[in-house]
Amino acid sequence: MAVIDRQSAGVPIAGGKLPEILLPTNCPGCGAGLDREGLRAQNYVCDCGHHFRLGADVWIPIIADEGSFQERWSGIRSHDLLTWTVPKRYEEVVDELLSEGLNESVRTGTCTLNGKPIWLAAFDFGFVGGTLSIVAGERLARGMEQAASSGLPYVLVCASGGARMQEGVLALMQMAKVNAALGALHRARVPYFSVLTDPTFGGTAASLALLADINIAEPGAAIGFTGPRVIKQATYADLPPGFQSADFQLSHGQVDLVAPRTELRPLLAHLLELYT
Amino acid sequence: MSVWDVVELARHPERPYSLDYIKRLAPDFVELHGDRLTADDPALVGGIGRWHGRTTMFLGHQKGRSLKERVERNWGMMHPEGYRKAIRLAHHAAKFGFPIVSLIDTPGAYPGAGAEERGIASAIASAIMEWFQIPVPIVAAVIGEGGSGGALGMGVADRVIMLEFSIYSVASPEAAASIVWRDNSRKVEAAEQLQITSREILAMGVVEEVVREPEGSARADHDAAAAALDAALQRHMQPLFELSGEELLRRRYERFRYIDSLIKAEPQFGPKID
Repeated sequence: MAVIDRQSAGVPIAGGKLPEILLPTNCPGCGAGLDREGLRAQNYVCDCGHHFRLGADVWIPIIADEGSFQERWSGIRSHDLLTWTVPKRYEEVVDELLSEGLNESVRTGTCTLNGKPIWLAAFDFGFVGGTLSIVAGERLARGMEQAASSGLPYVLVCASGGARMQEGVLALMQMAKVNAALGALHRARVPYFSVLTDPTFGGTAASLALLADINIAEPGAAIGFTGPRVIKQATYADLPPGFQSADFQLSHGQVDLVAPRTELRPLLAHLLELYT
Repeated sequence: MSVWDVVELARHPERPYSLDYIKRLAPDFVELHGDRLTADDPALVGGIGRWHGRTTMFLGHQKGRSLKERVERNWGMMHPEGYRKAIRLAHHAAKFGFPIVSLIDTPGAYPGAGAEERGIASAIASAIMEWFQIPVPIVAAVIGEGGSGGALGMGVADRVIMLEFSIYSVASPEAAASIVWRDNSRKVEAAEQLQITSREILAMGVVEEVVREPEGSARADHDAAAAALDAALQRHMQPLFELSGEELLRRRYERFRYIDSLIKAEPQFGPKID
């Protein structure tokens, strides 16, 4: 079902050609063998509706007009605050991920979407589970402060397990740091759109993710505070099928709409027209 | 004393809970209930009383001692209604110019299905954002367990202090062990690794002061513990009365926005800011 009418139908579903990603041989949704090129042309959404998880390197060209993304503060690095050694030294973990071409759990910058300038921040689940870290918090807070003063709409793509254990209580404090800046963004009356992808949990869900002017969830995304494994451990409860799914959050009043990834960009373009 | 000994002291059932302190700080305390939407959350007490000559809003996580009381108080784990009640009372305090004292003592927000169904994530998120807009002095104190987002939802303040044998953590040691090793029995290792004791939290610049507890810890002498907490709260609250609401909010913003600024001072302690 289309979420918007043909008004924005002229907007392509991605801003540019998407990079290739690692894919299984068969779709976990329907079991069909995957047509890699076909999937890539459909923002990595299978015909059955399964949405594959994407990194920031794919999200940026989905949202941004080709060549328009100007990344900011990409040089900030995580450091080992707690001399974290188990099960692996934190610095080793970070170095390995950086050498794989990832750059922290949040990347941010300015770009245009269908010609309109915006701030864009994308979580990267591949970087320690997209966890909120000091670097992530700093990039988010600075971008929000700049959006608040420049008036550029702020678009966020979420995929995060919560706060990063390896940065201890300072990772927890990022929730307050980011929400301080988010309050400034709201007071400046700058539109903020949040795209909730699979999974969005913990300290990220309990800070910036669900406080947008418009919360847009991807079909099938799991969204919540406490993960189902911990809920079962703590309460011995049997959780019903679909618990914490995008549709669950829609029916419980936490998200404004559920939109397939193939309609997201036309939707955002349309919203930008309505709000700016 | 090992880190785990501190965790056990912070969780000790004879340790004073919020109401033990509030009743000593403000003997005329009147408890106020409810979020004015759907429910009252007994895991959070709130109310007003006279403290050092001023009507003050007290908020605090409340644990129970008997099994019945523990169940009633849900082990101090708040539901979404608790955060909504806290913010309602914060606005109430702001309306009348009452300063706010927030006592933190929770393993975390309630990890149950009902909390999820009623929007615990956005309740905490809204509370954290809303605290930055309450233009009266706020001092928070971690008196036992400062567990995760459930604690931070009550911990956005102008000054934050900790009792000596309390802990403040990104996740409970059990949860962290479960996240890092998928094995919550490795809680002792997790507690050591996470750096959750008051001395460590002070060194990271996250709290302003660690309050000494009486000989044998707060559980040994509730009156002496309350007197020490009272003096420390008062010491931090007093200078805040000199500031305008606007100035309070500006400084509260800066306190949290640059809370990791020690990292800039000590490059080996965090990210290099370009």
